[in-house]
Amino acid sequence: MKARALVRLWSIFGEPLWIVVSMGFPVLSSLALSLLYYSIGAASYVGFAVLGGVMVSFWGNVLWSMASQFYWDKQEGLFEIYLTSPAPISAILIGMSVGGIIGTVPSALIVTGIGWVLFHPAVNAVWGGVILTFGLTLASLYAMGMTLSSLYLAYGREAESLNEVLQEPVSMLSGLYFPSLGARSPFPLAIQAAASLIPLTIGMDALRKTLFYGNDIWQVWPDLAILGVMAVVLLFASTYALKYLENVGRRDGTIGVRIR
Amino acid sequence: MASKGTVSVEVSDLRREFKGKGSPVVALDGVSLKVGQGEIFGVLGPNGAGKTTMIRILSTLLLPTGGWAKVMGFDVEHEPEKVRRVINMASGAEKAGYDFISAKKNLWFFSQLYGIPTATAEKRIMELSEMLGLTKYLDRKFYALSTGYRQRATIARAFVNEPKVVFLDEPTIGLDVMTARSIREFLKEQARRSERTIILASHNMAEVEAICDRVAIIDKGKIIAAGTPEDLMRSLGAPALVMEVSPPQSGFEMLSRVEGVKGFTASTEEERGLSTVHIVVETDAAARAAEDAVKREGLKVVASWRKQATLEEVFVALVGRGFKEREEQDVV
Amino acid sequence: MTSLRPILASAWMGIQHDIAWTTPVLSVALRVVAPFASAMTVSIIYWFGTTSASPGLFNADRLAYVLIGSTLYAHVASYAWVPTVAIAEGKNLSVFPHIYITSRSTAFYVAGTVLSSFVISTIASVAALILAYLALSSFLGTQIPATVTLTSVAMVAAALVANIPGALGLGFLLGAYSMYASKFEWSLPGYVAGLLMVFSGALFPTSFLPWPISVGAQYLPFTQFIAAAREALLPGTSGDYATSMGLCLVGGGILLGVSMFVYFASERKARKDGVIDRRLA
Repeated sequence: MKARALVRLWSIFGEPLWIVVSMGFPVLSSLALSLLYYSIGAASYVGFAVLGGVMVSFWGNVLWSMASQFYWDKQEGLFEIYLTSPAPISAILIGMSVGGIIGTVPSALIVTGIGWVLFHPAVNAVWGGVILTFGLTLASLYAMGMTLSSLYLAYGREAESLNEVLQEPVSMLSGLYFPSLGARSPFPLAIQAAASLIPLTIGMDALRKTLFYGNDIWQVWPDLAILGVMAVVLLFASTYALKYLENVGRRDGTIGVRIR
Repeated sequence: MASKGTVSVEVSDLRREFKGKGSPVVALDGVSLKVGQGEIFGVLGPNGAGKTTMIRILSTLLLPTGGWAKVMGFDVEHEPEKVRRVINMASGAEKAGYDFISAKKNLWFFSQLYGIPTATAEKRIMELSEMLGLTKYLDRKFYALSTGYRQRATIARAFVNEPKVVFLDEPTIGLDVMTARSIREFLKEQARRSERTIILASHNMAEVEAICDRVAIIDKGKIIAAGTPEDLMRSLGAPALVMEVSPPQSGFEMLSRVEGVKGFTASTEEERGLSTVHIVVETDAAARAAEDAVKREGLKVVASWRKQATLEEVFVALVGRGFKEREEQDVV
Repeated sequence: MTSLRPILASAWMGIQHDIAWTTPVLSVALRVVAPFASAMTVSIIYWFGTTSASPGLFNADRLAYVLIGSTLYAHVASYAWVPTVAIAEGKNLSVFPHIYITSRSTAFYVAGTVLSSFVISTIASVAALILAYLALSSFLGTQIPATVTLTSVAMVAAALVANIPGALGLGFLLGAYSMYASKFEWSLPGYVAGLLMVFSGALFPTSFLPWPISVGAQYLPFTQFIAAAREALLPGTSGDYATSMGLCLVGGGILLGVSMFVYFASERKARKDGVIDRRLA
């Protein structure tokens, strides 16, 4: 686990340009949406766009560096090595997650810094709640990434297309830049219920409550509990899915085959 | 290095340097040659000798840093567009093709980049596939083809525009004997019947011996010998001494001190418990002296025999080492 | 005709790249998802911001402005990736050097792949706009204005065509980078997409940006394309249609000229340095 996390960190921090290139879209889209809030006379909600920019960095990392990672690894012939090593595959996934989170922090900090300097978003934070919510959101989000990485193994060159299909709709449904749950949500109840199955939706809702509306841990405990349960369930789901697909792969002889 | 008949490829004092960490790395160091129309011309040398660099320059992928090269009379540096109309290339190391479409569609796509009408292109694809034994697999997606058939498709692509000059870099590398043989037959047919010039870079001696009309042996960016394979081998007479020595040895440095020994190359067969040494000698006396030198080291010569030189032995005679040892030497 | 063949074949290859992994219908359907979701997101931001900040701020015309602008932005942004992906994938599949040494070489290939993306993206954007329009009207319970007549549709189609030189220009500019890049070739299109989101007037008028950035943004061919197409569907919101079309064509033509120059210079340098056939990291 530690080794996989370190590999990811070496690849990110050993190549400082990586931080610059990976922050482009989160920074600029956050800037554009902050300006949108500003331009329509809703400057008090600019913080939502900045927070969205921070979290979209992690969501992008989950999709492109977690969910599709085993797909790339399989292309490079690394996946067989993982499978035949004595290390549990879940440990490799957790290692990748930890490395991915730490590696994305610089990009998230830059989005925060630029948003803060340019827009001074109004914050009314309970920092203990913010930190706990942030941590649980990342835990459940990366657990979802682990599950997706297992499921992506079942696909060939579709992995890239699936990422493209998932990226924007999940950003929208999870309310990265506006509330997608509750009274201020534009969505009908059925869509809100479906969106609640995405850890990011619960996490974003709770983050906005603790960061902008001064809610403390006790006011957001149901969200925190759901995030914790999601993290555990998705972690087990990813392990189970991987095991299942490994067995299918061994049976059908597709593990060592490059998928395209 | 001259050719007979119409000249297809002419290279004069060609140089190419690459930026190195310290001093520049010289990949080609003043190469000159002429290749005639319809000729299969082999460029033989160990990895890193400069073969691929020469092909990259001739196929307009890379600019030279000195000298000049012409293909069908067009300067590769200043008239690349004209050169491209008459050439094509394929590399055995890279089975180039779009994975997500069939072999046939890949071939069609490349034919379109030369502006060939679809009907003509399809006819040509069918002919080439027939010759290469690819017809049955044309509709398979490129990724689903075996290595051998992917390579047949790659070779077909290199001929789809009916080029006057084709550059091939290790076209049969990693292929089984039968596939490699059928590709060689195809290449010979293309050169003989269609008068195409084929420049074949390889470090497969047997391949070069089998199909090339002429060969240039290249080492460290320089041509060190050139001629027909027969001429090159005949130039050494019957100079090869092969010895099987027990127990196996990693080095035979004692041979380099024997007068009349021009070079040697050794390999070890652990399962047979012996080493096989190929020694290039100038005279029969040198052969006897070499055998004595080995025995003096307390080694047993299990068997020894003389044979006609191969191209590898020509290379050994010229640089004192075989391809493998030369590559290892460069790594060190 | 011989010049058209490589362009059409490359366009065909671009379409194959997009659809070969699944059925054509599913592929195009999935292409609609991203622009639909991003148009929904920004439109909802507008709705949420205006209805939450203060009563009376919401304006259906402005919602339509944001909705149409964001869909057109998505259409433009989809071009940004195409040459980069085509060149990077070509290099990784080892086909790029073989395309380079063909008689028509890579410029036709890049042009063809951009055009294929134009076709797919146009279909996807129109579908995304219609779906987002219907979804927002339903979710928000509001009538979103839009002028859809034969004339306005023809005007949008003309604007899409007028944007082709600019799109090709952007394609060649980014292609010039990926021709030479050894890694992170995907990053520049990401930046360009982000910059277009800020500077193309898709979400808010460029006049909102500080001077002189607002002036520069105003004269981008993509800004003018979005303005022209939006003016056709929402008359009176984005300036004069004919002026925007003119500026779009002129700006696109200049961008295409400059980017072709940069592309060929990059190609020459790549040949000199021996990186045409280098694989990407």
